[in-house]
Amino acid sequence: MNPRISLFSLGALLAVAGSCFLPFAEARTWTSTDGKPLQAIFLGIEGESLKFRLQNGNEIVVPKDRFIKADQEAAERLAKIGDDSFTKASARQIDTMLAGNLKKNGFNSFNEPLPDDLFVRRVYLDILGRIPTREEFLAFAENARPDKREALIDELLLSPGFSSNMFNYFADMYRLHGSDFDNGVRMDPYIQWWKDQLEANRPYHEIVTDMLTAQGNVGQNPASGFLLRDTGMEFDAFANFGQVMLGIDISCAQCHDHPFDEWTQGDFYEMAAFFGNTQRSLGYRPASAMMGAASVEMPNAPAGWRDNFMKWAETTKGIVPRDQNSNQFRFFVAALGWNITDNETLETVLPHDFIGQGGKPNEVAQPRTLIGDAAKLGGKTRRQAIADWLTAPANPRFSLVIANRMWGRAFGRAIVEPVNDLSEDELKRASQPEVLRYLESEMRRVNYDLREFMRILYNTRAYQSIATFEEPDLTKPYYFAGPVLRRMRAEQAWDSMMLLAHGVEIDKKTGGDGSFYKKILNIDFTTASNDDVWRHYEMWQSLRGGQSAMAMASESGDDYSPVLVNDTELRASELPQPAPAASMLDTFGQSDRRITDDHNYDGSVPQVLALMNGTVTQQLTGISSKIVADLEALDGPDDKVRGVFFTLLNRFPTKDELDLGTGMIEDFGDEGISDLAWALMNGPEFLFIQ
Amino acid sequence: MDHIAELAGKDPLSRRYFMEMTAKLTLGLSVGVPFLPRTFQAQSGAKAKNLIYIYLAGGMTHLDTFDPKKNRDVMADTDMIDTNVDNMKFGMHLKELSKQADKLAVINSMTSTNGAHEQGEYIMRTGYEKRATIVHPTIGPWAQTLLGKRGDILPDSVLIGQSTSNAGFMDPSFSPLPIADPSGGVPNTTLIVEGERFDRRMEMAQKLGQQFADKFKYTGPKSYVEYYTQANRLLKSDALTAFDISNESNRGDYGENRLGQGCLLARKLVESGVRVVEVVSGGWDMHLDVSGGTASRLPELDVAVATLLKDLESRGLLESTIVAIGTEFGRTPDINMNAGRDHYPAAYSCVLAGGGIKGGTVYGETDGGGKKVKANPVKPEDFLATIGYGLGLNMEETVYSPTQRPFTFADKGKPVTDLFA
Repeated sequence: MNPRISLFSLGALLAVAGSCFLPFAEARTWTSTDGKPLQAIFLGIEGESLKFRLQNGNEIVVPKDRFIKADQEAAERLAKIGDDSFTKASARQIDTMLAGNLKKNGFNSFNEPLPDDLFVRRVYLDILGRIPTREEFLAFAENARPDKREALIDELLLSPGFSSNMFNYFADMYRLHGSDFDNGVRMDPYIQWWKDQLEANRPYHEIVTDMLTAQGNVGQNPASGFLLRDTGMEFDAFANFGQVMLGIDISCAQCHDHPFDEWTQGDFYEMAAFFGNTQRSLGYRPASAMMGAASVEMPNAPAGWRDNFMKWAETTKGIVPRDQNSNQFRFFVAALGWNITDNETLETVLPHDFIGQGGKPNEVAQPRTLIGDAAKLGGKTRRQAIADWLTAPANPRFSLVIANRMWGRAFGRAIVEPVNDLSEDELKRASQPEVLRYLESEMRRVNYDLREFMRILYNTRAYQSIATFEEPDLTKPYYFAGPVLRRMRAEQAWDSMMLLAHGVEIDKKTGGDGSFYKKILNIDFTTASNDDVWRHYEMWQSLRGGQSAMAMASESGDDYSPVLVNDTELRASELPQPAPAASMLDTFGQSDRRITDDHNYDGSVPQVLALMNGTVTQQLTGISSKIVADLEALDGPDDKVRGVFFTLLNRFPTKDELDLGTGMIEDFGDEGISDLAWALMNGPEFLFIQ
Repeated sequence: MDHIAELAGKDPLSRRYFMEMTAKLTLGLSVGVPFLPRTFQAQSGAKAKNLIYIYLAGGMTHLDTFDPKKNRDVMADTDMIDTNVDNMKFGMHLKELSKQADKLAVINSMTSTNGAHEQGEYIMRTGYEKRATIVHPTIGPWAQTLLGKRGDILPDSVLIGQSTSNAGFMDPSFSPLPIADPSGGVPNTTLIVEGERFDRRMEMAQKLGQQFADKFKYTGPKSYVEYYTQANRLLKSDALTAFDISNESNRGDYGENRLGQGCLLARKLVESGVRVVEVVSGGWDMHLDVSGGTASRLPELDVAVATLLKDLESRGLLESTIVAIGTEFGRTPDINMNAGRDHYPAAYSCVLAGGGIKGGTVYGETDGGGKKVKANPVKPEDFLATIGYGLGLNMEETVYSPTQRPFTFADKGKPVTDLFA
């Protein structure tokens, strides 16, 4: 441990944390058909029976049909997502801590409990990333079961929208970009890989380890996209690693000692040295490595393969070296070699104009971690060593960062802000260190299962409170009497509009899966003939220009042509990443994925013009729109007005609003409905999550 | 229709009522904002009334543009060319600008401590170091606060090349109007329904919006209410033509690219009464193959700015309009292993012209390798202060954020007054 860095005074702080509560108190009470209660932790379904653990530790198996119907259904749900005794116990623990802090700081308690209508809208937006349909809204309103809230949370956490919505968050955090490179290199398989990880609810530390230790190109190993993303900007890549995974912004230490924190310029390069022998591309030397020989051989290919192939192309296919028209071919060969390898001859060297402490210009920087226990190389690759160090229990920063971020997703404000720069100062000043500590330990207890972690947060009383009416001051502590009011993310607004236009089918519609680009890059160089590789070049060419240059292409069986999805009426996660400039998503602040956490929540005149006059609004609120058509079956203006409110704002209209709406329908018929729908979309309540 | 009027708290709806309402909106009488427009006496000597700030995001290489060196080792493939001013030399791609060097004041002693794009761009556009607890305004909202709003309908400032903007801690209504694509003008300006029906919809929406903004005391909903007011005002005016460059006769002269068309739109907007126009151009981060990068981007910059200067001059606008070229840092004198140049905040170049600026000036100097500033260092906040000085902004005037933190324009930067004629 480096004594200079006291950042991990936090480590000591966190060491005392632990799950020292008894979840059994929160175990569900199951009811038999003859009315007898059974308090037990549910273990799963075995054939036609349910298996439980009793408080004394004994396990019992009871035929399913001995229980009332509601409990049989609960068993079906819990079998998929897991028993919720721990979940609820953890949620109560958080509530107890928050309530104590609220009291201590002069607040009565939490805000008023969230009414059902606002609850449905909020959980649909927070979990699925879109508003509920009128039917979904009514189904919940009419459901009389006492466990309907936890059941809805579980149901939504298990549906595909959950990962689509999570993807939008991580796409912003990890700057996922489909084709950020002038030379045609694409990241489609990496983007699809992220979706797959989230859909499988893979533990977060495993996702991160895969990215940090990946070898190969994005075709063979899509996780390599994380490191390939910043080819040519290795130090920016390292700074991003610090921001997203460690929650430390060390970018300024690249050129000088950090002005506020204790980072020195030397620290920066020593830690960056964990990536110092990472070679990202053929014949291409990382900016950090001024020493050593970059490999020019295609990995996993016979010696001299690349030169031979280039020569063959020159004689057989008329590829002229250094000719403009042959650029595409050279880009293709270069793309095959965008490949992560560990090259032991490369080293990170301190810059020639090094001015900081802890080294001299042009010295080789030895890999050294700055906080927590030292990372041990011990025969591992440097990247494996940093990944193991990062995700080890002795380094609570990693779990703290992701726990704090997930909290921010649920409450609209993280416990410590900004989430990508938890400086020591900020941590020292954190208003609720014990909550932070507890969340960190919970993140480890659930083994980085983000779905389970979010499930805990959504089950808290704090979350299920009315949003705070006054905007909390960013410079003052906030004690979470409830979530803060948030504007929808661009993706939530877009996905909600797509729902209004197309209904729930939109949840299932997918774009391309990136498999075509994967196929292009997947070549077994030991067996492929030059003609085979040339076929791959022709596939590469088919992805140039127009629609094909934007969308993620899928492969089509044995065929060598791509399947392109021309549909732009898809959920945001299925569209090109990011959506093009000046598109609806861009206008509403979707990150352009250049820097981390760059989503913008500000309004603008172009935004409101798009809502007033844009094609989506025309489609949604016109006389022949789905919204108006769906209300045809409803009798009388009152029901129709309520229908419009349920559809767009997911709440009951006030008396004034009802009078206003019915008046409009009486005066103008369907035109009135259309006008009302337009007004609700332009409210701008529609854009906010309360 | 009584119910609508009732909701609006007015007598039964009439055409006249809507005309009154529209008049109020367009005259800006109904806008309640905490930062009321104030008019200050412009600083004496300030000639400029407008600003066109061309921002090159990514970090423009200084050696290949305005600070070329005799030392071939640092110049790579770039040759030095003469200009129409004796002691001014440019990189070879700036052919057109070299003929108008007598209009330019080049600052070759820019220096910053921000080596990362985000932080660097932030201070170059706001004058303040990026902080995690507050967002500082760019020049447009500052000018509007210190000088008062200029027009009734047109926004005071426009941001070309980005699709979102903000006013920092100032009122959201002061945000520059973002125009992502200069050739596209302001999108979505054709009404779906017209006349009374539109007014009916709009009034209802604004009523609901106001209720929501009253319920939640947050900046967000309040800003949307304000944006609807502004949008409505814009739609009912003929001001939108100022954003349409499709019929400009010299479109081709500016170059058929976003930077060129952005400069043309900036000229048209300034001519129509917009005070501050920022034109943001990306793609200047040349870590790989700097020769290829400069060969493709510098001619765009060269043609666009040279045409802009001539165009402003022929319309009699150059004396009242500052044209500035800014960027977050320069690029390393050493060519890296990938034939590119990396970030270099220690020394870089920015340019000013028009608006009372003394042309044919080279201010500050770097050493023979373009590595260290030898004389007259200019920090980002000084550069902004220089622009502020030219525009006559009172840089002593304290403006408070909603959290009562005090700020002044350009964070106490020192204007380089030598650059003014």
